[in-house]
Amino acid sequence: MSTPTTSATEPASRPGAPRATDAGPTGGARSARARRERRAAYLFMAPNLIGLTIFVAIPMLLSIVLAFFRVDGFGGYDFVGFANFERMFADPYFLSSLGRTLLYLLVMVPGLFLSGLGLALLVRNKFPLVGLFRTALFAPNVVSLVVVALIWQFLLTDDVGFIARLLDRVGLTAPSWLGDPAFALPTVMVITIWFSMGYYMLIFLAGLQDIPREYYEVASIDGAGPWTTFRNITWPLLKPTSFFILLTSTIAVMTGGLDLLVILTGGGPANSTTLVIYYVYQQAFVYGEFGYAAAIGSFLVVILLAWSALLFALTKGGRFTHAQ
Amino acid sequence: MPPPPLSSPGGHPSRRHFLGLSAALTGAVALPSVLSGCGDASASSRPLQFWNFYAPAPNEDPATMARAAWMQDTVDLWNAENDQQIELVYAPVLGSEKLATAFSAGEGPDIFLISPGDIARYLNGDVLAELTPHMTQEAVDDFFADNLATRMIGDRVYALPMEIEPLALFYSRPAFEQAGLSEGDLPATWEDLLSVSDRLVAAGQGGLVFPTAQDYYQNFVWYPWMWQGGGEVVVDSGARSAFDSAGAVDALRLWKDGVDLGLTPRVPPASNDIVISFSEGYASIWQSGIWSIQDFERKAPDFDYGVIPLPVPDGGESATVLGGWAFAANALGSNPDEAARFCAWALGSMDDDGIARVANWCIDSKRDISPRRSSLEYGSQAGGYDSEHMRMFRDEIFPTGRGEPRYPPVIYKAVSDAIQSCQLAGGDPEDQAATAAQAIDAYLTTYEGVDLA
Repeated sequence: MSTPTTSATEPASRPGAPRATDAGPTGGARSARARRERRAAYLFMAPNLIGLTIFVAIPMLLSIVLAFFRVDGFGGYDFVGFANFERMFADPYFLSSLGRTLLYLLVMVPGLFLSGLGLALLVRNKFPLVGLFRTALFAPNVVSLVVVALIWQFLLTDDVGFIARLLDRVGLTAPSWLGDPAFALPTVMVITIWFSMGYYMLIFLAGLQDIPREYYEVASIDGAGPWTTFRNITWPLLKPTSFFILLTSTIAVMTGGLDLLVILTGGGPANSTTLVIYYVYQQAFVYGEFGYAAAIGSFLVVILLAWSALLFALTKGGRFTHAQ
Repeated sequence: MPPPPLSSPGGHPSRRHFLGLSAALTGAVALPSVLSGCGDASASSRPLQFWNFYAPAPNEDPATMARAAWMQDTVDLWNAENDQQIELVYAPVLGSEKLATAFSAGEGPDIFLISPGDIARYLNGDVLAELTPHMTQEAVDDFFADNLATRMIGDRVYALPMEIEPLALFYSRPAFEQAGLSEGDLPATWEDLLSVSDRLVAAGQGGLVFPTAQDYYQNFVWYPWMWQGGGEVVVDSGARSAFDSAGAVDALRLWKDGVDLGLTPRVPPASNDIVISFSEGYASIWQSGIWSIQDFERKAPDFDYGVIPLPVPDGGESATVLGGWAFAANALGSNPDEAARFCAWALGSMDDDGIARVANWCIDSKRDISPRRSSLEYGSQAGGYDSEHMRMFRDEIFPTGRGEPRYPPVIYKAVSDAIQSCQLAGGDPEDQAATAAQAIDAYLTTYEGVDLA
């Protein structure tokens, strides 16, 4: 049970606040009130905390533990130490999927960032039907990724698909978008950016709305052009939003889009769209190698944690320098 | 001690009390529902669960309803005569994720459908109940031996096939006619196949469709081309790979040539739908299984198509692969003995009803070859194989068939990579066959499990 002394480290320790030890009976009443409010806060958080613990924290922990076992898929578990991790770094399929994922990451994160920012800048100002444009750009997000995959599969059919026929009308021959290893991954990238850019647009839009209009008015009076305004006002003040998008899009790119890959390409042709996340799925649910899949999954978590830590460190928790 | 007042002295609940009470109520409501998933209902008297992808019917399509009705009738008849009840559970995509996850969690279904492509893992995991004690030797012998063999270890049966689904070439007669081709031009050799496909494509008709997706099905469809030239994936009871052979290399080259010559589309048209593809002129020849007969009956009953055996290479022998699903019982289930007895009763009874039951599945509910001699005879007498296409499958295609092999994932993957690389990524068939053979040999040195040959 907390005492008035320990509660003194809480709100009362803020500069300028009265110290609890000086407060006498009034401080005791405040402390009791603070305890009750804390209790209420914990109760409010409880459903989420319980959910997160049961459905996120415990499975994550179990997955890491699983990575140290050979699992036969039928309830048999043999402790194998780091064997799954050793296997991972000697597995050419994993290494090639990792290389492919890094390439995917290098294209997708800037792609999502720039498309989201570009769209947000386009629809930030009021003009006729702007609401309709914003809704249309965000609309793919409310559709199941499975449906998105099926529609694109239909559009991209070789020779007789809508896009092939469209190109044919202007005298161009469409490649096999999903059947040629040279085109399959770029096609998946384009579809993913098309699907996701509305979401990132929305986040950027919220960030843009937070920038006071006065700054732009002053810049306009000073004769600043659009590029100068963007470079000196919009970009610096969007840094916390940019940080958030950089972080979340990296995680989304590394761990998401499995449904799209399963339906659209099945990891093919010739493994050309087998990203790490697909490889994890394949090992676990197609080959029954749950321990090995858990090891790869854990490795992904470590990479993402390291990346997040680096990003936090470089940007001082997303505040960068100007906001300090 | 009296409970603290809920309202402030003024008679109205304070904001703090209201928030506290709300939070408590939220927690109280949420907690039991979250924790309810952790409970373990008593399993002692529950019906055995039969996971399948037919019943209860997921939609009202007549063919789907007919299959669901057969499953339901079979289970109802069992339930009427036995204490241990069985419950049908519809489980789509049963072949992989759902089943694997359930078994991994120790919650595998009591009875389920399994394909030979997936069975080695389950046999090696020792989770399939033996069915032989519930069958007579006469019943075991009634099944076509080569097809049953992939579900056996020695003379012990671990799954019973409910159907046999051989592969053949389907062709569009209107496409042939429009390309100026007649029945006399139907391909009998691989060379014919490529030249006829070339003539079809040159005449503006659709091409020759082989599967291109990287999955178990593609391997399954490719195996007979390899077998025709004498190729094998493994030999010597699974002791070594024979994949680096002329039979495998030639089969890899055939599929590669189809794509390189522009005859085989890199992605099957119409989302892999043979009926739409033929009807719309997107494809003219398509390697598919006997199940496509029912697809045409349902979607385009008047469409004029034909079926021929797979062409053979020069000096090769006709061969096809026999697919089909089987009933299996979970040895770790709540009542494996009764589950196994059900499987044996449903598909392996030698009485008239048992023979008719299997026959009806293959000629009424579906269009398949019966896995049993007696049922095939019964189905033939009932007129189930009188149509041109069913007769062709029974008389000319099925006799050349081999049971679908049961390879573990590592072997499947090595073969799949070779096919994909040659067919779609410009790989050299000889190099790819050698690479796959090395991978398979490396795996076989440490493999312990059922005979793979």
